[in-house]
Amino acid sequence: MTEKNKNNATTTEVIITGFGGQGIILAGRIIGKAAALIDCKESTLVQSYGPESRGGACSAQVVISDRSIHYPYIRRPDILVCMSQSGYEKYIDSIKDSTLLLIDEDLVHPGNIKIDPFAIPATRMAEEIGRKMMANIIMTGFFTAITQAISLSAAKDTVAESVPRGTEELNIKAFSKGYDFGLALLKGRKKKAAGKIGAIA
Amino acid sequence: MDSLKIILFLCNWGPHVAFQELQDNRSDIPADIKMIRIPCTGRINKSLLFKPFEMGADGVLLIGCSPGSCRYGSGTNIAIRNTEDTRQILELLGLNKERLQLKTFLPDEPEALLQFLKKFCEEIKAIGNSPVSFKKEDLKAGYPSLSEIISRHDIYACQDCGKCTSACPLTLSGKQFSPRALASSIIAGNIESVSVQEDIWSCLTCGLCYDRCPSAVNFPDFIKDMRMFFKNRDKNGHESHGGFFQSLMRTMTSPGINTKRWENLPEDIKIGPNSTTLFFGGCAPYFDKFFNYRLGVQVSNANMDSLRLLNFFDIVPSVMPNERCCGHDLLWTGDLENFKALAGLNVETINSLGIEEVITACPECYRTLSYDYPKHGIDIPFKVIHIYDFLETEISKGAVEFRQTGDKITFQDSCRLSRFSERADLPRKLLQRLKPDIFKEMPESGSAAICCGNTGWTGCDSYSKALQVKRLRQAKATGSDLLITSCPKCQIHLKCAMEDPFLGKEFGMEVMDLASMIARTIYWK
Repeated sequence: MTEKNKNNATTTEVIITGFGGQGIILAGRIIGKAAALIDCKESTLVQSYGPESRGGACSAQVVISDRSIHYPYIRRPDILVCMSQSGYEKYIDSIKDSTLLLIDEDLVHPGNIKIDPFAIPATRMAEEIGRKMMANIIMTGFFTAITQAISLSAAKDTVAESVPRGTEELNIKAFSKGYDFGLALLKGRKKKAAGKIGAIA
Repeated sequence: MDSLKIILFLCNWGPHVAFQELQDNRSDIPADIKMIRIPCTGRINKSLLFKPFEMGADGVLLIGCSPGSCRYGSGTNIAIRNTEDTRQILELLGLNKERLQLKTFLPDEPEALLQFLKKFCEEIKAIGNSPVSFKKEDLKAGYPSLSEIISRHDIYACQDCGKCTSACPLTLSGKQFSPRALASSIIAGNIESVSVQEDIWSCLTCGLCYDRCPSAVNFPDFIKDMRMFFKNRDKNGHESHGGFFQSLMRTMTSPGINTKRWENLPEDIKIGPNSTTLFFGGCAPYFDKFFNYRLGVQVSNANMDSLRLLNFFDIVPSVMPNERCCGHDLLWTGDLENFKALAGLNVETINSLGIEEVITACPECYRTLSYDYPKHGIDIPFKVIHIYDFLETEISKGAVEFRQTGDKITFQDSCRLSRFSERADLPRKLLQRLKPDIFKEMPESGSAAICCGNTGWTGCDSYSKALQVKRLRQAKATGSDLLITSCPKCQIHLKCAMEDPFLGKEFGMEVMDLASMIARTIYWK
C-alpha cells in the first residue's frame, strides 16, 4: 500500500486467521464479495492452501479499496481478526498502532500488546445457537459492526447467498448476534469513556 | 363554585365539648361542614380518612384531643401518623394534601375551634372543588348470571378429584377451604351459605389449582367472575387494609384526577417526554407511603432501577403524566365497572401520547395491560413488554458483565408472571446471567411456586400469615441470605410476615427486586 492512499484511507487491508475448518476463508469471501458486488468497491482475496486447510493455522487476506488494487498481499493489516491462538501469534507482530484487532475471547489470549482488542466469545455464542460451525458468521457480524468496512445490508445479503441452502435463516441469526454484540460493545466503550459504567450513578 | 363537601371527624372527648358549646351558642359553624362523631382520632385509620375523598369530599378534618389529653393515651399519636401518610398519598394522587388536616383542641377552646373551621373552609374554597366525581353504584345490567358463570367456566367439568384442594396453598396452611367443595356448593346453588360467602373472598387466585386441574377448570377466573356476581348484589368483599387500596383505585376513575406519582424523580434518571416508549410504573409509590410506618417498604426502588436500566441501554422512556392504577386489584375484587373505567382512561392517555410500546416492571400491570384489557374489550394499539423481556434481549447482545456480590440467593415467583403468563423461565434466565455464587430454588418454584399470601388486597387472615411463614421457612432452608422477588406485592407481604414479633428474627433476610439486583451489579465490559 502506498503512502498516498493510506492518507486518503480508501484502502482497508484485512487479515482473518484461525484454524482450518473454522470457515476463515468463507468469512474472507463474504467480506470481499460484499465489498465488491454490493458496496461497489474493489476487493481481492488471498487464501492460504495446503496443510493449513486441514487443521493448522489458516488465513485469508482481503483487500478492500475504492480504486483498483495492484497488490493483493498484506504486510501490515488495518484489521486483524484472530480465531486461534496460533494465528494470533503468527500475525500479531505485523500490526500497526491503528490496527483494529478482533479476537474470539475464548480461543485467543492476547499477551502484552499496545492496542486494546475487540473481543467476542464467537464460538461460545455459536454453541448457544446450536451450530458451532457458525462462529465465523458471528465473527463476520461482529466485524461488520466494529470496523464498518462493509455495509450491514451488503454483509447480510452476502451471508444469505454464500451459505448452504436451507441454513440461511440460522446464519442470518448468527450474523445478527455478532453484529448486535459488536454494537453493544461499541456502545459500552463509549459509555465507559464518558464515565458511565454501571446503571446506578 | 358549588357548595363545599367537608367532612369533620370529631373526637367524642375533648373537642366535641368545644363543638357542642358552639352549637349551644348558635355560633356560625360553616354549613358546608358535616360532622361525624367518633370515639377517638386514633380509630380513624387511613382507609376511613380516605373514604370521603373517594366519595367526592372536598376536604376532611380530623379533630382530636391535644397531645397528652387523649382518653386512651396513644390515640393522637396514631392519628398524626395516619394523617401524614394519607396526606402524602393525596399529594401523589394530585388531590393536594391540604385537603386533609389534623388539629387538636381542648374542651375549653370553642372560639379557637370555630376560627379554625372557618379558616379551613376558606382554604378549601381557595383550592377548589375536588375533581373526584362519585358515582353511586347500582345494579348493572350486563353482569352475568350464576348459571352463565358456571357454564362459561365449565364448572360441570369438575371431576371431583380433589387435586385442586390438595394443591391449594390456603388449604395446606390449615384453612377450612376447598376449591372443589366451593365449586360443588356453587353448582348446587348454595350461594347464600356462610362458607361460600367467605371462601369466594379468601381465594388467593394464585392459579395453582388451575395448573393441576385435569379438566382445566380455570378456577381463579371463575372466582373473579363470582366476585363480580357478589359485588353486583352488594355483597362486599373482605378487603384488607380497610379497603383503602380499592378506595384509592376507585378514586382514580374520576377523569378530573391529575396524579403526581412521577414527580420528584431522582436526578440521575432521564425521561424523554416525546419518546414512543412508555414506562408504566404501577402503584408502588402509594404502597410505599401507605406502609411507610410499619414495614419500611421501598417497592418504588424497583421502578427507579428499571428506569435506570432503560437509561443504561440508551432508552429514554416517557412516563405518563397522569398515570392511574392499571385496575388489576379492582378486577380481581369484582369491581368490573371501575376496572373498565381505569383501563379506558389509561389507554386513552397512552394513545394520546402516541406510544408504540409500554414497558412495565410490575407483573400485575404486565398481565392486566397485555391480557385483561383486550379480554374486556379495550383495544391496545401498543405493545406491552415486561422489563425482564427487554433486559433479556439487551443483555443477550453481550458486552455487559455483572459484579459479583457474594450473595446466596433464592427466588420468589410472582403468580401473575410465572403462572398466569407462563413466563417462569424468564426471571431464571436473568438470574443465571448474574452468575450468582449460589442460587438455590425453594422446593416449590416456577409455575408450582406457592403464593406470597395475598392477591388483590383481599382476604388477608391468619392463614395468609401461616402461608407466608411457610414460604419464608422454605426460603430460609435454602441457606440463602437474599430473597429475590419480582412483584412489589410479594415483597410487601413477605416483609410483613418477617415483622411478626412472635417469630423474632427467625426470618431476617434481605429482600430485593430482581430489577434492582440487576441495576446494582450490571456494568459495561
